[in-house]
Amino acid sequence: MSDLASTIVFYVLALIIIGTALGVVTSKRLVHSALLMTACFVAVGILYISLDADFLGAMQFMLYSGGVAILIVMGVMLTHKGENLPSNPVNSKSTRAGIVAAVFVVVMGAVITMLPLPQGSFVSPDTVSGLADMMLSTYILPFEIAAVLLLSALLGAIILAKGDGEA
Amino acid sequence: MSVGLTHYLLLAAVLFAIGLYGVLSRRNIIAILMGVELMLNAVNINFIAFNRFLPVSDLTGQLMSVFAITVGVAEVAIGIALAFRIYNDRETVNVDELNNMKG
Repeated sequence: MSDLASTIVFYVLALIIIGTALGVVTSKRLVHSALLMTACFVAVGILYISLDADFLGAMQFMLYSGGVAILIVMGVMLTHKGENLPSNPVNSKSTRAGIVAAVFVVVMGAVITMLPLPQGSFVSPDTVSGLADMMLSTYILPFEIAAVLLLSALLGAIILAKGDGEA
Repeated sequence: MSVGLTHYLLLAAVLFAIGLYGVLSRRNIIAILMGVELMLNAVNINFIAFNRFLPVSDLTGQLMSVFAITVGVAEVAIGIALAFRIYNDRETVNVDELNNMKG
């Protein structure tokens, strides 16, 4: 991809990501937040692909914009009371939360722009087999631990959602 | 001017801050979970950008982000199950009303 094209792609994606993320945290209705969050995840996935991480992009589409989005929408629907109240109120600390977030952006921005970062460029020709080789050789232990984590999360989620007596 | 590591890090910092604001300012548990998901995505952008633009020779950054995505998805499943449970027991998902342990 040419330099100009990648620059345009980055800024368009950054605009979409930040705009939808702001919508997620400011929208009055929880369902709107969930839909904007899905759009944000799709844009992040495209950003991964533009960073030459095509497998991660596919994972992002399947897990976040597919799985997590559906889980969140189900959560919104099953915990909704059907009143005419705003479904997504802010609490009394929202001004202070905004100050904390702004301070975070300023501090991190200063650190990122002042830090001398080593420059390099690494593009893997085949991310799928590269990741698979590492996962089943050097990083076999974290891989197995992730399997145990997923199993315990599955069982834990079922028991938490159904309760002691029914499970 | 071409897009480099700094741009991606700044984007991730802004996304993380937006997620942080969401976590701190919302009252609904599900909305707080959404904020956490935004923060996790910001971390993954950082991992992948470091893997792409630092002088590295393998895909460790992308692999770490695979594990981060695994943990994030497990976390959202547990979070939603907890929210169901709390809603069944207390008829509310408003965190300001969940103050049974307040002294």
